Amino acid sequence: MSDKERRWKCGKCSQELVQQKVVFNYLGHTFSHDLPACPDCGQVFISKELAEGRIAELEEELEDK
Amino acid sequence: MKLEEATAYTAKCFHGEPASCSYACPFHLDIRSFMARAAEGKWSRAYKQLREATVFPLIVSILCDQPCRTRCQRTLLGDEAIAIRDVEAACVRYVKNRKPQSYAIPPKKERIAVVGAGVAGLSCALNLAQKKFNVTVFEKEGTWGGVLRNHDRFAGFAEELELQFSAVKVDFRYNTEITSLEELAEYDAVYIATGEGGESFGLLDSWNPELFTTRENKIFLGGMLTGATLMEGIAQGIVVSKIIEGYLQTGKAALSPDMRYDKNYCGRYLDHEGAVSKPLVAASSPDGYTEEEAKQEAARCLLCDCDKCMVACEMLKRFKKTPKMIAVEVFADTQVNPPFSTRSLTRQAYSCNICGYCKSICPENVDVGSLLQLSRRGRMNDGVHPAALHDFWLREMDFATSEGSYTAAPRGKDSCEYVFFPGCQLGASNPEYVLKTYAYLEQKYACGVMLACCGAPAYWAGDDKRMEDNLQRIRQGWEELGKPVFVFACATCESLFAQFLPEIGRISLYEILAKDDSIVPTQPFAEAAVFDPCNARGDEEMQEGVRKLAEKAGITVEELKEKNRCCGHGGHIRVANPSLYDEIAHNRAAASEKPYIVYCVNCREVFSLKEKKAVHVLDMVFDTGSSDRLPTLQEKRDNSLEVKKKLMASIEGAEFTPEKHAWDDLVLLIDDETQKEMERKLISAGDLKEAIWLAETTGQKFIDESDGMCLASMVKPVITYWVQYREVGPKTYQVHSAYYHRIRIKEEE
Repeated sequence: MSDKERRWKCGKCSQELVQQKVVFNYLGHTFSHDLPACPDCGQVFISKELAEGRIAELEEELEDK
Repeated sequence: MKLEEATAYTAKCFHGEPASCSYACPFHLDIRSFMARAAEGKWSRAYKQLREATVFPLIVSILCDQPCRTRCQRTLLGDEAIAIRDVEAACVRYVKNRKPQSYAIPPKKERIAVVGAGVAGLSCALNLAQKKFNVTVFEKEGTWGGVLRNHDRFAGFAEELELQFSAVKVDFRYNTEITSLEELAEYDAVYIATGEGGESFGLLDSWNPELFTTRENKIFLGGMLTGATLMEGIAQGIVVSKIIEGYLQTGKAALSPDMRYDKNYCGRYLDHEGAVSKPLVAASSPDGYTEEEAKQEAARCLLCDCDKCMVACEMLKRFKKTPKMIAVEVFADTQVNPPFSTRSLTRQAYSCNICGYCKSICPENVDVGSLLQLSRRGRMNDGVHPAALHDFWLREMDFATSEGSYTAAPRGKDSCEYVFFPGCQLGASNPEYVLKTYAYLEQKYACGVMLACCGAPAYWAGDDKRMEDNLQRIRQGWEELGKPVFVFACATCESLFAQFLPEIGRISLYEILAKDDSIVPTQPFAEAAVFDPCNARGDEEMQEGVRKLAEKAGITVEELKEKNRCCGHGGHIRVANPSLYDEIAHNRAAASEKPYIVYCVNCREVFSLKEKKAVHVLDMVFDTGSSDRLPTLQEKRDNSLEVKKKLMASIEGAEFTPEKHAWDDLVLLIDDETQKEMERKLISAGDLKEAIWLAETTGQKFIDESDGMCLASMVKPVITYWVQYREVGPKTYQVHSAYYHRIRIKEEE
């Protein structure tokens, strides 16, 4: 099964994940983005694709500043 | 930080400064760029440069005595110096338009008198007239030219003077001899250039050869009257015009920085390694070069400019900044005020191997690595360092200086004369390296042991505090052992001790081993190249020791063309700049077709990953036979603990029990591909075990109920790790993937 086909649920609350505004911090910069998260406990889901793609790019940009 | 603190590192760098020939040239013509333009037949641009520098290019290209040629570095190759004047003459001949430019600047009200219409006075007069000053030239003879009037080519020279003065307004008063300076009282400045033996109005004894001033305010003096040559006279006229201009604006005669030339620099030569000898281009006609010949001759110019470090170092090549630019940016980065301004050097600062190679090949010992190290320290002290770039190695250092550390005198003793300091990675790479070496040293020299870290991770991270704490621990251990001499297996450890703990005696393990005739190392290859680590630079004993051991093994040793280059590991750049790290490692692996003998485990690891055959010299000495498969990050930690456990047992008869974690019992099944990826990303199995344990204990994870696949994350101070896994048995998990990010999800308030 490919990662895209997976239907992840929160392991703690058994809730389907919903898009939620998530706030991030890095090196003194704060920014937000909509990401899947548990509607009950707020646990945020970050896929490998996102972590190693857009997030890694963003990290590099912020490190260079 | 002050700007001077950073620029002091590169003060001696002369990249971009005039070449030796230009320092010798009376006009300080930038011969290098003139020749580059001439070689391409860009006569118009070359002529413009020549005109600006010499004022009378035709006269100079015929009469210059060419002191530049005595400083032409082509002669170092055994060739004749570039025919600089002949190329200049060709430029004057082949340029299409020699008409002087007229400058659209407002006229000035100040009046300047020039006494003497020889070329020295004329060059000054012309330059001031170009700036729209009111210039009057007094000449006792009936025409201009001074000593040139007697030259058989004077007609041509007079044409040149006519041409160059055609775009300016100057009041020439011929047949007017000035007998007293009082006649010139109405002028704002006066330049006396009356030629050899000419009238000096009694001011020669007060003449300042640097500023051309005299004791009389506003009276300047120069040219052949002061003993200058014809060319020097023209050049002086140009300089004097600038000094007079400054004097009229400020009331003070002074040299601006661009007018200061230290002639001593005309002896600053480069080694021109790899440059090819090329004979002088002979002119086919007595009239001088054809256009093509002039271009060919100009192309012989070596364009002498020092760029050795920027050519040799992959990092400097990639970032395309000169050492001096880097110094300014090191300072500028300390002055930023985000988000209004941002830093420009961060990535480069953390991409340097700090291997010292630039310094070793620099004719002036400029050390860009130390400069970037200063930048790293500054960032760390200011709390603006990107911590993730060095986090992995700092955690490894913390392990090596806590759970992994062990200091002991030899069995049954409290102190020792020697103590073996293997460094944190030797035992991690292969426990036998440390265990067999120690067994040998203990038996032979009653040697103690110190398992610790030299502090390289802190040093390279710019973490002064961590560094100092570690040095303190080492110093204390050394004192407790009775101040023994340290025996080093790692060149980095030894070089850091030399720098930070000079009070401690040092000896290289390889020097000791090489002196022992009973040691006969095995011969893994008939021929090999010794790859000296960067930090062994200057450590002759260590380098020599390894070569002797190779010789004893019967290996024919090839010397690498470039020695002591960093394998890529230095400075811990791997996270900051993975592609640069990869490029450097690739280049070092390709430096010889022969297999390598190495004596740094980090070099060995880098080459192993590049599938370059490399054997650690200890494998030859103690037949430790390290396999080609590198230990994983977790195995390295386990190896370090095994070394400590075995040494403690053999020295003290004590049992060492490593710290126990609740997750230690978990069994992870990791396929080769995933393991390889984890190693590349510096994710250890221990971290994944902890993450899985946390997820399984708290339920804080994601789950795909269709097949029981789980995804969990673990937040460490700097990095958040993620692991996708599935339970396949009791406390047994198959790892499907592992990744990380550095940004932090903000916890809800």
